[in-house]
Amino acid sequence: MHKIRRFITSCGLLVGSLLLLSGCQPLGIGNRQSQTIRISSLSTTESQILANILSELITHETQNKVTLINNLGSSTVTHESLIRGDADIAASRYAGTELTGTLKMKPTKDPEKAQKIVKKAFKDRYNQTWFPSYGFADTYAFMVTQETAKKYHLETVSDLGKVADQLTAGVDSVWVNHEGDGYPAFKETYGYDFKKVAPMQIGLVYSALAAGKMDVVLGYSTDGRIKSYDLKVLKDDRRFFPPYDTSVVATDQILKEQPALAPLLHRLDGKIDLDTMQTLNFKVDNDLLEPAVVAKQFLQEHDYFRKGAAK
Amino acid sequence: MMLTFLTEHGSDLLIKTWEQLYISAIALVLGIIVAVPLGIALTRFPKTAKVVIAIASMLQTVPSLALLALMIPLFGIGKVPAIIALFIYSLLPILRNTYIGMNDVDPILKDSAKGMGMTPVQSIMQVEIPMATPVIMAGIRLSAVYVIAWATLASYIGAGGLGDLIFNGLNLFKPDLIIGGTIPVTLLALLVDFGLGRLEKQLTPAAIR
Amino acid sequence: MTNLNTWQQLVYYFQHNGSYVLRQFSQHFLISIYGVLLAALIGIPLGIFIAHRKKLSNVIIGVANVIQTVPSLAMLSIIMLGLGLGTRTVIATVFLYSLLPIIKNTYTGMENVSDNIIDSGIGMGMTNWQLLRMVELPLSLAVIMAGIRNALVVAIGITAIGAFVGAGGLGDIIIRGTNATNGGALILAGALPTALMAIIADVTLGFIQRHLEAPQARP
Repeated sequence: MHKIRRFITSCGLLVGSLLLLSGCQPLGIGNRQSQTIRISSLSTTESQILANILSELITHETQNKVTLINNLGSSTVTHESLIRGDADIAASRYAGTELTGTLKMKPTKDPEKAQKIVKKAFKDRYNQTWFPSYGFADTYAFMVTQETAKKYHLETVSDLGKVADQLTAGVDSVWVNHEGDGYPAFKETYGYDFKKVAPMQIGLVYSALAAGKMDVVLGYSTDGRIKSYDLKVLKDDRRFFPPYDTSVVATDQILKEQPALAPLLHRLDGKIDLDTMQTLNFKVDNDLLEPAVVAKQFLQEHDYFRKGAAK
Repeated sequence: MMLTFLTEHGSDLLIKTWEQLYISAIALVLGIIVAVPLGIALTRFPKTAKVVIAIASMLQTVPSLALLALMIPLFGIGKVPAIIALFIYSLLPILRNTYIGMNDVDPILKDSAKGMGMTPVQSIMQVEIPMATPVIMAGIRLSAVYVIAWATLASYIGAGGLGDLIFNGLNLFKPDLIIGGTIPVTLLALLVDFGLGRLEKQLTPAAIR
Repeated sequence: MTNLNTWQQLVYYFQHNGSYVLRQFSQHFLISIYGVLLAALIGIPLGIFIAHRKKLSNVIIGVANVIQTVPSLAMLSIIMLGLGLGTRTVIATVFLYSLLPIIKNTYTGMENVSDNIIDSGIGMGMTNWQLLRMVELPLSLAVIMAGIRNALVVAIGITAIGAFVGAGGLGDIIIRGTNATNGGALILAGALPTALMAIIADVTLGFIQRHLEAPQARP
């Protein structure tokens, strides 16, 4: 018994010291060459996919390690994470959200103008680089089933106005009373009212539409369920919703410390269009694949977007 | 700053504190109703007792987030699944302490009871339970503190309570909400611990104290 | 996926995401262990120090007790405000919660060494350090291990919540499951490994603990 006891005690001490030594890594005490880069993401599927794409890209193409700071609750927390130094890169920032939310400026409907404004403001105010968009905008969008679209000949949100008084609309409960781009502002811009507006959790609108519980819903344009339920997204012809073009944002500091990073991140400029994002989202939400797995597959398919690789 | 917080969120604070107490209390009472009789019954079946206590022990080890999340596919979200999860957690301390308490009653006392002509039920009710009460009370107190603490996390599955303030604070990055949720919930846990500690002392027969 | 039942979904999930789950599993475990080991490094010496010092032990164990009563989500969030998002905060929180079981058990173990044995040791001419190393610590080992075991189980639970402050681990999978519309399989995929980790840690350390106890039981 005494022998076993000594054995166990020495094992314990050995394990303990080994772990403590190797433990310096997760605690963030590394060396410059293989610096750990921290990428923050929201808890949404889309954000996690993008964060994992960045992570996989960086770890595959450079010596750096990446830590993901996941499950952030809102764009406010994301912004704070960069400001406070908890993260070096934010995987998904939306121009429209940041314009009114973080920058507290007036909303702009023009996507290009919005890009210019946020780019400059983030550089001037926060020493951060707002990269060009991935190639898609994750915006609020009105959608109907294909049958409804055919029945009423619906292509745009204005078309919807012709039959709105017969329709029940399921909308994000957060959006209904939103200042500046909520339901009241919507009524002003498009000049019509729905027969009934039912606020609900944004995640539930897609199934509600598909099940016929709602005639039209307001969802997110990149959600994978648009594909899985074969829904028709109506065009926002009066440009009511602000441009939510999605981009990476990185601190100038990390870009300076790791010069290889900027060109690497630029590889993704415009490479993910709306359809692609929907497909990626679908793979996670519907096909039970982890964002990390989907991200890796995506990059492998495109050969990590190396120069001269197929588009 | 605290004053502005209280004026803005004061009513919220009261409602949420009430919600947390309410679901904790229900879970604890259910736990007592199930675990105490079960613990008493198990003293007559020591072999089964080992198995049952081992199972309850295993359930206790399950991390709270895991157990709470597992309720969702089964019972959905809201107060009911939270109460069920908290009830499961409350079982072990009460069960184990009841069993140990009842077992530890001096056999001489049990024999005297038999000698005086008491039926087994009378013996239990009039002799064993009173003697085991301090230990049982200690178990209930332990459960209560656990349950109040875990009820904070239960807000994640829609149970309400002060955890709501903390989650809102985390999600919107509002340190004042985080602190505004943390302080009350800590005070609540400390008060429950202290209050039940007093009760435990009161219920301990003077002879044992 | 909707035509598969939850079990089949679960199997499918593990088949396609196995290495990811493994990574999260080990990250989760490492975070928990670091916190507990740090607490042991400080807590065991502290427990030894306050043994036989009644007033000091009351204060220190009292403080550790108060820390213990703070609900873990609350503690985690407060520490996050100071240390930021990520694993550092979780390790710090785990450290704090591991202190009470380890300090208290070390203290109890030391206190419970029978005076007779200590007297014999002194009689044999042992120095305090020798007494500690050859008598008190070996006899307290089982109780200390019980404290570490307790701490580790709690640590695994806290690390799960750590996903809310961006620390990753199996909690990430659980949260994704709760956010999804039909996330039953995902929740299981996250919750089951977490529960198993805690149960296996508990059983394994319990086994070691019992082996450390045995010599004392001998007449």
